Amino acid sequence: MKQRLIAGIVCAAVALWSSAVAASSPDARPGKGEEQRLWLRAEEEQRIINESGLLYEDPQLEAYLNGVARKLQPPDVLENLPFQILVLKDPHLNAFAFPNGVIYVHTGILARMENEAQLATLLAHEMTHCTHRHALKAFRRLKNFKPANAFEACTQDAPGRRGDLLTLLGSTGALAAITGYTRELETEADTVGFQLVVRAGYDLKEGARLFEHLKEEIELYEIKEPFVFGTHPKLQKRVENCKRFFELHNVEEGSGIKNSEIFLEKVHRVLLDNAQLDLKAGRFQMARKGLEKYLALKPEDPRAYYLLGEVCRQQGDQERAKALFGKAIALDPGNPDAHKAIGLIYYKVGERGRARRFFETCLALSPNLPDRAYIEGYLAECKKE
Amino acid sequence: MIKKFSWLFLFLITACAPWLPVGGPYESPSHRFSVVLPEKWMKLRAEHDLLLSKDGPFLQYVLIQERPIDRPFGHTRKTLHRGMLAQEAAQLIIDEISSDRSVNDFRVIQNRPARINGQSGFELVFTHKNRDGLVFKTRYYGIIAGDWFYAIRYNAAERHYFDKDIQTFESILSSFELREEKTG
Repeated sequence: MKQRLIAGIVCAAVALWSSAVAASSPDARPGKGEEQRLWLRAEEEQRIINESGLLYEDPQLEAYLNGVARKLQPPDVLENLPFQILVLKDPHLNAFAFPNGVIYVHTGILARMENEAQLATLLAHEMTHCTHRHALKAFRRLKNFKPANAFEACTQDAPGRRGDLLTLLGSTGALAAITGYTRELETEADTVGFQLVVRAGYDLKEGARLFEHLKEEIELYEIKEPFVFGTHPKLQKRVENCKRFFELHNVEEGSGIKNSEIFLEKVHRVLLDNAQLDLKAGRFQMARKGLEKYLALKPEDPRAYYLLGEVCRQQGDQERAKALFGKAIALDPGNPDAHKAIGLIYYKVGERGRARRFFETCLALSPNLPDRAYIEGYLAECKKE
Repeated sequence: MIKKFSWLFLFLITACAPWLPVGGPYESPSHRFSVVLPEKWMKLRAEHDLLLSKDGPFLQYVLIQERPIDRPFGHTRKTLHRGMLAQEAAQLIIDEISSDRSVNDFRVIQNRPARINGQSGFELVFTHKNRDGLVFKTRYYGIIAGDWFYAIRYNAAERHYFDKDIQTFESILSSFELREEKTG
């Protein structure tokens, strides 16, 4: 109890100091020397990411995300550090910030959120990394490392994909995306971020729910991801910091803005597109969950039924897959993919007559189908019987 | 997968793995396949992979891989299995590559059935960009034979290099012969 009290006092002191810093000296423009170099490096790394084909291009969604970000910071901070929120087509649970205020949010984490308050909590955390110059502090800490060791040192806990991620993100991005910062800096990002969320009128309890939910999902699906918001201990720390903040500030349940409907309307396409990414990556349970969430919002979308059918087909549940493809066709009889998928199911079990009917419809609907040659081959086989 | 291979290559280089000149008939150490290698190329052999290059593997290479079908991939959790259609195997390879974040601007140009050594397989042609924006083109053939998956690919910088050695690759491909477990 005594330890919790001391921790609480320390936490409060950090929070007060941090918010004072944020309010009184928000000039996060790069200074000279190493910070300027860090910003230049960040800009070069962002150029590579932005040209990689991984950007999720949806101007309306971007405008919405940037609008939420603007609600979180006072005008003088925004004047010095004009934040930009971008979305990456990536099904993994993550978001990360570059020191110059450019924040990337993965479709994977957006698809798991339920409302604007949860989004605000995530953005506020990332924005604090920028306003409080965490990248600069981290690089100063690593300054004495040899360049070859620096990345290794800051990613030593990250399982797998290091080479791939370093290639794409560069060292600044990899530091922000994979390891996050030291425990102290992450706690500062939490504490200041929570203050921003509360000050903007959002329900911070929703932020805690997001971290709890992500933690449960990681446990349930045994997710092993190398990212800050995809690792169990780091999410656990976020949850603990939330709880400590609630105790200190007497945050009440339901006492703030959630904006669930607006949020879900803005991100509903992300649910569908992210489920497709999960399906490609063979993360069937997550793809299914995303599609079911999407269908609860848009129950008449044939593409969602087709994708859910593909999840079932690829998992071996052919009967359920057929029913879902049938639903997709009922909603959109001109859908060639659903016809092809049912044809494949019949073809594989030797029901060539039925398969032929679906394949022929598929080709009639889409004469320039990219995998037309396969279908023609199946049809030739079907006609032999 | 592409990047993973580059890392493997770099590792082997630093470990002083020898590049050996090749030419003529070649049988894999597993005795599962044989192939006729072009003259004046170099080879690097790593466990189940045979890497060939003439101008250096960062510009062009031919890679022949044999892998157990149940071996997990690096970027998709899907796995190959016996009885899979060639189209399904091709889609899995596309999913694996497109789930790799280091492969930029991945585009499938062609996806069609192919016969390799008389067996049903697939042919993919795709492009991607490296970190510096250089476009690479790959022609990728795959077949499942018994419990093994064989991938034979030619990758080169699209500009100048790809066309230069495509015929050599085709002659390597036509000489590819499986020694056992014929199916399909």
